[in-house]
Amino acid sequence: MRFASPRTAFPLGVAAIAFAFLGLFLLYPLFNVFKASFYDPTGTTLTLANYAKVLSAAFYRAGLTNSLIIGVSATIATIVVGVPMAFCLARLPVPGKPLLLALATMPLVLPSFVGAYAWVLLLGRAGIVSQGLAWLGVPGVSIYGKPGLILVFTLQTFPYVLLPTLAAFKAVDVSIEEAGQNLGASRWRTFRLVTLPVVMPAVLAGGLLVFMETLENFGVPFVLAEDMPILAVQAYKLFIGEMGANPASAGVMGVLLIACTSGALLLQRYYLARRRFATGARGAPPLLSVGRGWRMASAVFCWGVVLLALVPFFAVVVISFMKFRGPVLTWTPGLDNFATLFARSQQPLINTLMLASAAAAGATLIGVPIGYVLTRYRSGLSHVLDVVAMVPFAVAGTVLAIGLVISFNSGWLILTGGWLILVLAYLVRKLPFSVRASAAILHQIDPSLEEASINLGVSPARTFYQLTVPLMAGGVIGGTILTWVTVASELSATVVLYSGPWATMTVVMFQALEGTSAGIASAAATLLIVVTVVPLALVHRLLKNRDVSVL
Amino acid sequence: MTTIRIAGVARAFGAVAAVRDVSLQIGDGEMFTLLGPSGCGKTTLLRMIAGFCDLDRGSIHFDDQRIDTVPPHRRNTGMVFQNYAIFPNMTVARNVAYGLKARNVPAAETGDRVGRALRLVHLDGYGERWPHQLSGGQLQRVALARCLVIEPRVLLLDEPLSNLDAQLRVEMRSEIRQLQQSLGLTALYVTHDQEEAMSISDRIAVMRAGNIEQLGAPWEIYGRPATPFVAQFMGTTNLLTGQITATVDGRTRVRVADQDFLVGASSAAIGSAVSFSLRPEAIRPLREGEAAPPGWAVLDAQRTRIEFLGALTRLDLALGGGGTLRVATIGLPPQALGSERMRVAYDPAGVTVFA
Repeated sequence: MRFASPRTAFPLGVAAIAFAFLGLFLLYPLFNVFKASFYDPTGTTLTLANYAKVLSAAFYRAGLTNSLIIGVSATIATIVVGVPMAFCLARLPVPGKPLLLALATMPLVLPSFVGAYAWVLLLGRAGIVSQGLAWLGVPGVSIYGKPGLILVFTLQTFPYVLLPTLAAFKAVDVSIEEAGQNLGASRWRTFRLVTLPVVMPAVLAGGLLVFMETLENFGVPFVLAEDMPILAVQAYKLFIGEMGANPASAGVMGVLLIACTSGALLLQRYYLARRRFATGARGAPPLLSVGRGWRMASAVFCWGVVLLALVPFFAVVVISFMKFRGPVLTWTPGLDNFATLFARSQQPLINTLMLASAAAAGATLIGVPIGYVLTRYRSGLSHVLDVVAMVPFAVAGTVLAIGLVISFNSGWLILTGGWLILVLAYLVRKLPFSVRASAAILHQIDPSLEEASINLGVSPARTFYQLTVPLMAGGVIGGTILTWVTVASELSATVVLYSGPWATMTVVMFQALEGTSAGIASAAATLLIVVTVVPLALVHRLLKNRDVSVL
Repeated sequence: MTTIRIAGVARAFGAVAAVRDVSLQIGDGEMFTLLGPSGCGKTTLLRMIAGFCDLDRGSIHFDDQRIDTVPPHRRNTGMVFQNYAIFPNMTVARNVAYGLKARNVPAAETGDRVGRALRLVHLDGYGERWPHQLSGGQLQRVALARCLVIEPRVLLLDEPLSNLDAQLRVEMRSEIRQLQQSLGLTALYVTHDQEEAMSISDRIAVMRAGNIEQLGAPWEIYGRPATPFVAQFMGTTNLLTGQITATVDGRTRVRVADQDFLVGASSAAIGSAVSFSLRPEAIRPLREGEAAPPGWAVLDAQRTRIEFLGALTRLDLALGGGGTLRVATIGLPPQALGSERMRVAYDPAGVTVFA
């Protein structure tokens, strides 16, 4: 790469800004988390004492093992659910497929802790369903604890496995299967020996996403784990408890979390580096003709999973329009919950809308040029940028937030207590998504269009803004809205970073969960669901005719 | 208007040398073609001139101005891309006006020039159409108009016809040639199609593995290929290798397997190996009892195949040692060829011998 060449001025500029931003607000805070975990309380001597202290306490060791057990179980469960479902959707005549597919992506964007709370409303101690079951003589059914956590995580993250696997099943060249059968293998044998290995990389890629998401998720275990120790929750509690003092133990938990997630990420890269799953299929393979029994079974299975994942959200919306007497649901319709919620303050709703808009705009503004440089200017430098821009994937929101607080609560740049630190945290967390989404869109725009523009006398930077950005517009707007949606329901970094006047809807919900005001919590949950679903419907319309993978 | 001077240009991608030490000069108003198989470096060389590919070594000049250090958007070249690269979010008129806007040409003048450019490519009245409403050939014309309207110093064409169907390809290439000649533009044309190259060019450079294998006018390259590669790449040929057995009357006798051939004078010693190219159409089948023209060599061989192609009839003759000699002849119906044993004649002076 020639640094003097005028052709590289634009990508170099983008890379410089990206490295400066990520260096300051991602790598530096993470470095401080590492540093805190390796120094003694006075901050002067290098030591492993913090690790010894944390790992010798049974309570914290349990947190690590619980997190790993739940993560691995949920990963296996999503594969067990997601792969057959992907096969059904790719190769069997499941009724209502387009709607089913649209609904199946919903669990990924709906706020996960709202889902967890909805499950509590249904299957908690005073849950509607568990009480009904107790009345029928089946007592003790509860969503709390490990099985509940695994169930909820599975229902919320199975699309991570379903979507790439479905794409892979559709990309399988049917002639490979035909060749297998032509050589005398049975249908099942062909599937096992020919089709399955081809889709395996997609399955594992999705599975590892599930593992990382499960490990770093804060809201779901906060709602469902009760007293059971979980890594992400412990890091938060340790840090909040130690605020102002030395965040050494929280740092250790953070480092452990990063170690687990980046281990998974490296495993995924290592595995995928040696395999490709495209087989050069020209069209999607044809549907299989199967008997009525199989058709029924596949329809019941696919629709069952999707409905089971979405019913709690529906239930919580319905419940929010019922009156509560204290924590007790009365089944009388009314808007009391919303009245109470807004009577207290409308500020959190406004905060959520404003912070999410700022963060989504920022992530797009930074993410699109990065995605552009990564796609159009391959070099050693862009490879490094690619890796750095993906780091936030492996970092739990809680850990990043802790790092930001340690780094910017004193010194030359003080950000704690304001809104900017929230926006920065969101921006960093959502950047990989924004970068990948714009790279996906760019792959569909022929580079010769940009060359034609430059050739006609327009500089590379102006070509980007004048030609490429308008061409990307549809996809970029879709990506921005999706970023907005996920920011609006972000919890794990928010709970660490927010301060009084900048509480968001998720914080209100979080506080309501800690207290006993179930009515307010359900109203807040409904608001969050609306804030998620309405923009999603917009995106769906916007991207209807585009083959842009947003995940 | 513009001459292009390429001096000692080289570029490697990693360990692969795309272009190695190429020097050539393209004259003012010349249509110059880079021809070669994929991966030969022809597109890299074109992109170097456009500015989309950096040079490892060497220099490129337009007249006396060094341009390889000028950013691509200031080189004032007009490039036509293989896939046309028409901006899908703009009308035809806005596509054509794009380069003028970048040059801050006033609106009234822009309108005039766009109209003129569209007339030039026979697209008047198409200004308000959208690209998706146009056919491949029409898109190609828009791409041409978009280049011509900026009055570029050189016109660069990167396999511009390869996405069109055969008939349109023939039509468009003569149109491009006419435009280039009437406007007196210096043009560099890249293609892998030898027929296209021969039909359109003033001169051709045949490239292979980053080097220029031969440079010359189309008939020179076809008629006097410098290397076996060029002979085979330009059309079909009989590329034969044998041993020199004798020199007779300023001609050389070469034995290929157990068949004797006569070729032009060669300085190689008797007994040494030599290869030569004998074009199929340079071999004439002789009718029963017909005498060969004076000075021509005659071969007597078994015919193994007849392929009637309309204007052309192709024949395969068996050579001793299992080889095949390909013959192409015009206006000879298969039934006129007589028995399977037949005589053919060729002029030894028309055989190209490779040293």
